[in-house]
Amino acid sequence: MSLFYNLESTWLSLKHHAFRSLLAMLGVVLGVAAVVGMLAVSEGARVESIERIRRQGVDNIILHSEEPQANATGGENIYYYGITSEDIAHFKTALDNVKKVVPVVGLRQTIYANGRPTDVVLVGADPEFLNISRSENADPRGRWISELDGVTASQVCSVGVDAARQLFGLDDPLGKTVSVYGATFEVVGLLNNPLHSKLAGKYDINNMVYVEYDTLLSIFNRDALKVEADYVYIQVQDLDYLKNTADRIRTYLAGTHELPDYTISVPYELLLAEQATQRVFAVVMGSIAAISLLVGGIGIMNIMLANIYERTKEIGTLRALGAQRRTILTQFLFEAVTLTGLGGVLGVGIGFLIALLIKHTADMPTIVTPGSVIVALTVSIMTGIIFGTHPAWKAANLSPIEALRR
Amino acid sequence: MSLIQLQGISRVYGSGPTAVHALRPATLCVEEGTFVAIYGASGSGKSTMLNMLGLLDEPTTGDYLLEGRNVAKLTDAARSEIRCREVGIIFQSFNLFPHFSILENVCMPMRFAGVDRHEMRDRAAELLTRVGLGDRLAHSPSQLSGGQCQRVAIARALANKPTVILADEPTGNLDVKTGDEIIGVFHELVAEGHTVIMVTHNAEYEKEVQRVIELHDGNVVRQ
Repeated sequence: MSLFYNLESTWLSLKHHAFRSLLAMLGVVLGVAAVVGMLAVSEGARVESIERIRRQGVDNIILHSEEPQANATGGENIYYYGITSEDIAHFKTALDNVKKVVPVVGLRQTIYANGRPTDVVLVGADPEFLNISRSENADPRGRWISELDGVTASQVCSVGVDAARQLFGLDDPLGKTVSVYGATFEVVGLLNNPLHSKLAGKYDINNMVYVEYDTLLSIFNRDALKVEADYVYIQVQDLDYLKNTADRIRTYLAGTHELPDYTISVPYELLLAEQATQRVFAVVMGSIAAISLLVGGIGIMNIMLANIYERTKEIGTLRALGAQRRTILTQFLFEAVTLTGLGGVLGVGIGFLIALLIKHTADMPTIVTPGSVIVALTVSIMTGIIFGTHPAWKAANLSPIEALRR
Repeated sequence: MSLIQLQGISRVYGSGPTAVHALRPATLCVEEGTFVAIYGASGSGKSTMLNMLGLLDEPTTGDYLLEGRNVAKLTDAARSEIRCREVGIIFQSFNLFPHFSILENVCMPMRFAGVDRHEMRDRAAELLTRVGLGDRLAHSPSQLSGGQCQRVAIARALANKPTVILADEPTGNLDVKTGDEIIGVFHELVAEGHTVIMVTHNAEYEKEVQRVIELHDGNVVRQ
């Protein structure tokens, strides 16, 4: 039997029972729409959380100095805490998988520009901070702070683009000076972070003023800063050994720090944890989808059984005219698969709309992936095959004389 | 050699004391090119006989030789194949497919026989022209009268050039005049060499046919 015949006879049957077919399809339509919509929401959430983690750099290990809680110190006042210059030196020399060690220290200060005070976070940053934070030198006439600035103790700074607007308004900041804590710095460059990332998720990178790390340490004494580094970014060479490196850092810090005055965060590990969470989410989604498609499938089976009951005489006639069992089987299976397939296509369309609606009303990112569409369509066709087989089998095995008698 | 030879063929429904002997062992022959009526009251077993002849049902005992080949005990697939190529069936209530055009209706048996698409359409059009419906190929059965529907059914039965044409009360749903016209078509077919076996309970048709096989309570009482 030709595909054309199957198509035509299916089309006629669906047309004849348009409303009933639509009702039968509804289960599959809604099931598929729910799957596509939910997958779009979960994919949006996944991509967003991974992007958030990625901005911190997956090849980084981030150390953060934290003032220990009073109960941890036994009530004793702590003046100095956190990651020390000895630690930093150790990371630079004793660990083999380390590419860069980038300390950052900062404090909120009143900074004067054109004699006008503004509260801005002043950061002492290792020159590698530019790359590791995925920022760029915003103004080609200017430059980023350099290693040499630290060696020569040059009084220069680079200003984040948003901080520049706060300090100088619409004036050109390049060549101007800012003064802070009795020291004066010449603005030699502008920094822009196109991702609008935040340092440690808190401080807007575009809204800070940067001087060379050693320069800042020489201006503010340790009493003012209390730490030698607020954050230390450790970039690894080989991602495969990142966990090993992180473990060695943990072991080293546990051995050298008596108090819990630091935290260590590994975006890559967060990423893996996030992906594991997503897998659990996917299993839950999958179960919901399976149930809704089961319901849809039962609807299809129901309608197919009704169709066959109604068309018993027609089946008998087809058999009397010489149709083989497999011809009848194929025709009804084809009809069931067409129903669920159409339901799948409609469902994908509605799923798209649901995703759009959620994106615009709930302000959640949603992404409909080709994979989810393929999965939804495949599953809906499979539903047709699974739930269409029994009715088609029944139709094919009707005795011709009994079928004709009706 | 006879076209059809039934040798001790019977059909029993159920078993034991409740068994229904729809057809008692019957032996008869039908020669090629004859117009035969199977006559009997309802419940006489004439429909069972037709089901046997049309390979719609399997006999309980006996042999059925169609063109010398024993077709009594065959698989469902093999019987379907013979129904398709060797038997043309016409029903009392026409049994046309209401959603298809009459052209498509006539094409149907040829689809099962795997006839080429163009050849199929050409032959269907030719057959419909022959039964006087050549100008209505695209019509649906609901647009035609009963007599016209039965003509479509006859064209459909002829589609695969069958060895035997079986008609189950072909005039039962038609008025006398239209019924006579249909009988007229059968006469034409027989004149061309076709073998037509018609089941009827109407004694009027006795004079129309060349031979009557009469059944009573499952027994062949006249042949």
